[in-house]
Amino acid sequence: MSKSILGLFQQPEPAADAMDGLKEAGFELGTFDVLTGTPYPEGAFGEHVPQHRLFRFPAFGAIIGFTLSVFLTAVTQLAYPLVTGGKPILSVFAMLIIMYEMTMLAGVIATVIGIVFESRLPNMQPGIYDTRITEGWIGVVITFDDESKVADAESVLNKAGALEIKHA
Amino acid sequence: MTNEAVAHESEHHAPPPNVEADVIARELIATTTGASGRFKAWAWILGILSVVGIVSLVVKFASVGDDSTKWGYVAALVSFLLSVAGGAPMIAMAPVMAKANWVRPITRLASIFSFVSVITLIMLIPLVAILPPLVTEGARRRTIWYLAPDYSPHIWGIAGLLLLIVTGMMLFYSAALPDFASMRDHSTGWRQRLGKRLARGWVGTDVQWRTLRMRIGMFGTFYFLILVFVNFLITTDFGQSMVPGWRDAILPMAHTVSGFQGGVAAVVIALYFSRRFMKLEKYVHLDAFWSLGRLLFALTLLWIYFFYSSFIVFWYGRSENDIATLNHQIKGPFLPVFIVGMLLIWFVPWWILIWNKVRRGTSAMVVGSFIILIGLLLDRIRMFVPAWSVPGDQIHQKWLAETPAAYWPTIFDILIMAGGISSIALIVMLMTRVIPVLSVWQVQEFNLLSKPIKYVRGHATLVAKPD
Repeated sequence: MSKSILGLFQQPEPAADAMDGLKEAGFELGTFDVLTGTPYPEGAFGEHVPQHRLFRFPAFGAIIGFTLSVFLTAVTQLAYPLVTGGKPILSVFAMLIIMYEMTMLAGVIATVIGIVFESRLPNMQPGIYDTRITEGWIGVVITFDDESKVADAESVLNKAGALEIKHA
Repeated sequence: MTNEAVAHESEHHAPPPNVEADVIARELIATTTGASGRFKAWAWILGILSVVGIVSLVVKFASVGDDSTKWGYVAALVSFLLSVAGGAPMIAMAPVMAKANWVRPITRLASIFSFVSVITLIMLIPLVAILPPLVTEGARRRTIWYLAPDYSPHIWGIAGLLLLIVTGMMLFYSAALPDFASMRDHSTGWRQRLGKRLARGWVGTDVQWRTLRMRIGMFGTFYFLILVFVNFLITTDFGQSMVPGWRDAILPMAHTVSGFQGGVAAVVIALYFSRRFMKLEKYVHLDAFWSLGRLLFALTLLWIYFFYSSFIVFWYGRSENDIATLNHQIKGPFLPVFIVGMLLIWFVPWWILIWNKVRRGTSAMVVGSFIILIGLLLDRIRMFVPAWSVPGDQIHQKWLAETPAAYWPTIFDILIMAGGISSIALIVMLMTRVIPVLSVWQVQEFNLLSKPIKYVRGHATLVAKPD
């Protein structure tokens, strides 16, 4: 069972100092995070920026949609070979609209799935939290597997000027 | 602070000072409770009008449901609702993508309009039931549906609008998640329970904020794509396809752009009233009105550009078909409606909004916005009422041999239109009781990223653009 502590700050500078302190004290990236009620510019707290894979979803979906659309339009025209206006049976311009629509549709559906997956919502175990965070306070949360490090983390938070430390 | 605010009102100098995050959360969440007597009275009036409108729609359908020539005003109302309710949420997307700081506090208000599209759907249902299939009496009328199944316009019209509603609500919900968390933390009663349920465990981690931005961007993009698609379907299937020979490739885009104009006008009006009656002056700065004014001015000019681009093709074409279309849409019995509509949607607001002083204020801006909405309604009536007045046995002709007589509204048409328009205001008003009318986290972000400063001998706002 992992343990977490939350240091609360009213100003961003001491919260950023706490993040720096945790890194210097040897805490692994990903074991501590910052909680805010408003989106601070990325990197404002020197936080670890996790890599997301969202861009892969629309690309993957679009490739599938495009492939299916080529298959659908080509097979349909070959199955019912009607010559229209002297054009070839496999006429790309007639296929373009359906190819575009299916590529977009599959891209959109895959993106929605990707958003749900990457958002990590619903968060069934929100963990330690304080309602003052939505009033502008900043929380620095540290999660431990090894309880012997709790004292080190508390020391870093206190040194940075945490106004309150909560345990869970 | 009062002096600075006054100076800001008159000279657009000295922007109001920043507000502390805890004050923002407390005050904005408090706006959802304690409705004034005047608010309740208006809500009751609008609610009664909305219900009467829907009842009138049912009664009309029961009495003249099989005669399409009697449904022009409902079609015009659907087009008007689509324009206003569909266009307004674009403000919650387009300027946000351009990283405009002024828009942050008002995106909530704009995205609330997406709920009004439910009324658009209700009004569309009888039209879908009455719209003739593509093939009647063995003949296929000219539409965009070449060799498609007979009920394609019906299915795609409903599906498109449903998709627009879902995407609009998802755009709203995506941006509202942190505010539901604020309600969970600081509200009471059913609002707190609602916040807890809808916040979905939001605590404000870095990953959550990053994905929130992605969701807003993606749903905003989808919303725009679907909105254009639905405008295309409504103008072609529920407008042009009802009139033999009416073929106008510019109309769908003209309809979409004038919808943006109506949407911006509706947001200006909603912003004006919420700012004034909910005492939100320190959160909604004049910069927002100034920026919306420029947007509205540009869109007002676009109306005449698109209209002229469309008109000139028929004017120079001079074929029987073109002359019939001009007679039907402009020079026919609805000429007075066309002239008044054009004056109100373009000429009058153009001459109001052209003045810098007007765009920097609020009162004249809101008057101009009301005029635009009246003009938009008349423009939609001029477009759709003559279209639906064409008798069903003439829709297979090559062009309209005889312009049908004007169909003037019955008492049911008037009640349906009054109800539909009332429902826009009612839904926006009721939503302000559910969630703060201004986005708490975006107002906090606005304050975080901007700072009023003294610059040499003047004043300016320093805005950070970190993304």
